[in-house]
Amino acid sequence: MELRGLQKSYATRTGHVHALSAVDLSIRQGEFVAVVGPSGCGKTTMLKILAGLEEPTGGSASLGGHPVRTGSGDVGMVFQKATLLPWKDILANVLLPLSLRRRPTSADRTKAMDLLAMAGLAEFARKRPGELSGGMQQRAAICRALVHDPSLLLMDEPFGALDAMTRDTLNVEVNRIWRETGTTAVLITHSISEAVFLAERVIVMSPRPGRIVEEIIVPFDRERSLDLLGEPEFAALTSRIRSHFEVSHA
Amino acid sequence: MSTTTVSPPRRPSGRGVQITGGIALLVVLLLAWQFLPGLLNTPRYVIPPLTEVLAALVDPAALPRYLQNAAATMTEVGLGLLIGVALGLGLAVTLAQMPRVYGIVFPYIVAIESIPKVAVAPLFVIWFGFGLPSKVVVVVLLAFFPVLVNTIHGLRSVDRDQIDLFRVNGASPMQLRTRLLIPAALPQIFSGLELAVANAMIGAIVAEFVGAQHGLGVLILQAQGRMETPAVFALLIILSALGILLNLAVRLARRWVITWEPR
Repeated sequence: MELRGLQKSYATRTGHVHALSAVDLSIRQGEFVAVVGPSGCGKTTMLKILAGLEEPTGGSASLGGHPVRTGSGDVGMVFQKATLLPWKDILANVLLPLSLRRRPTSADRTKAMDLLAMAGLAEFARKRPGELSGGMQQRAAICRALVHDPSLLLMDEPFGALDAMTRDTLNVEVNRIWRETGTTAVLITHSISEAVFLAERVIVMSPRPGRIVEEIIVPFDRERSLDLLGEPEFAALTSRIRSHFEVSHA
Repeated sequence: MSTTTVSPPRRPSGRGVQITGGIALLVVLLLAWQFLPGLLNTPRYVIPPLTEVLAALVDPAALPRYLQNAAATMTEVGLGLLIGVALGLGLAVTLAQMPRVYGIVFPYIVAIESIPKVAVAPLFVIWFGFGLPSKVVVVVLLAFFPVLVNTIHGLRSVDRDQIDLFRVNGASPMQLRTRLLIPAALPQIFSGLELAVANAMIGAIVAEFVGAQHGLGVLILQAQGRMETPAVFALLIILSALGILLNLAVRLARRWVITWEPR
């Protein structure tokens, strides 16, 4: 995954917004990258460009040498809200990425059920989203993002709306899923500790127009547990990232 | 993972109290209707007592007339609803996918919507005559707008992220329409339908007032001409009953279609 000199600006009612300015970033296959930055720094815009949902106004985004385009089928996406379809049951929701391409086979159903079992939702497969808690819905949304074995998993503040404890549990889950599937993952988050906990590399962005101000390599093992949160090294990394935002507020 | 089912708090007597209260109020109102006019010396042609109205309602001589003309009115309502709802839905789905065209057309929709549409009924009688077509056209016009406006609103307020989810997964415009936009807009579509049904009754009756040979509206005018107030009230009861039935049908259909909506 390559981003070269990426620029994005919008014309809005109130004028011209320069969302991204000269973003260069390359992401290795199978890497876990987290992007942190203040609100409105263009993180979400960057993710949408990675997903092929928006066109950059300058520069290029390419995946395996080819320019990114929508619906290539190789992207799994998790949003801040679960965005499940309320009229379909959980299983049908998880199968959605496949059922938009073809009629799901029994193998697809087995795969979806396996994912749900992994997320502790097996017994809820036939329930409607409205019958599940927010945390369970978000887990179902992660299953949905993985059902078609995407090579790129994009997460836009996926746990922002959840309580701290659910968040910790889900972070451990995401770490395990990432290790087991070998997917490339890009996480956008407001939470510095979440970024350090999950990522191999943390990209720190500046306020609008978003630029990359620092890239921090996270030197921990691929497998991570919640004990990590108490390590001095962990604290050192988070405070180093936090210092960027304190400067920008001064 | 453990889950607990939380049932909504329910006072055991709450529902019963409501039903008893409702029936009690109905009895009081009906008694008042029966006896108050006499006690207040209200002339019978102004407010006839309930028993006279009921007599007019079940009058065997009048019954075939009621049925025939109710059928005529409901034909206008039914045909008009069918056409108006189909046009409203179709145009809404088309416009929702063409934001530029929508921008151009929107002011016209607002302008036409703000015309008191029943006032156009006399014009339609000139254009389409005294028969069925002019009534149907008025009903179409009245049913069309609530469906159009509500459906467009529903289609346009579909969650942005859900649309992105479909796009990321390569959904075709047709898949986006049938598998996301329309199901997501169903609650608003049904709200539009409820309004359309109420409007359709108004449209049919007003159109019949303006000029018609058949229909409950015609019977009301005839009864008025003969100062048969009990018959007027009886016809109003029939009209209300038909309106309630239509509204009930839409609400039942909504429950049947939108099974995921909290009740």
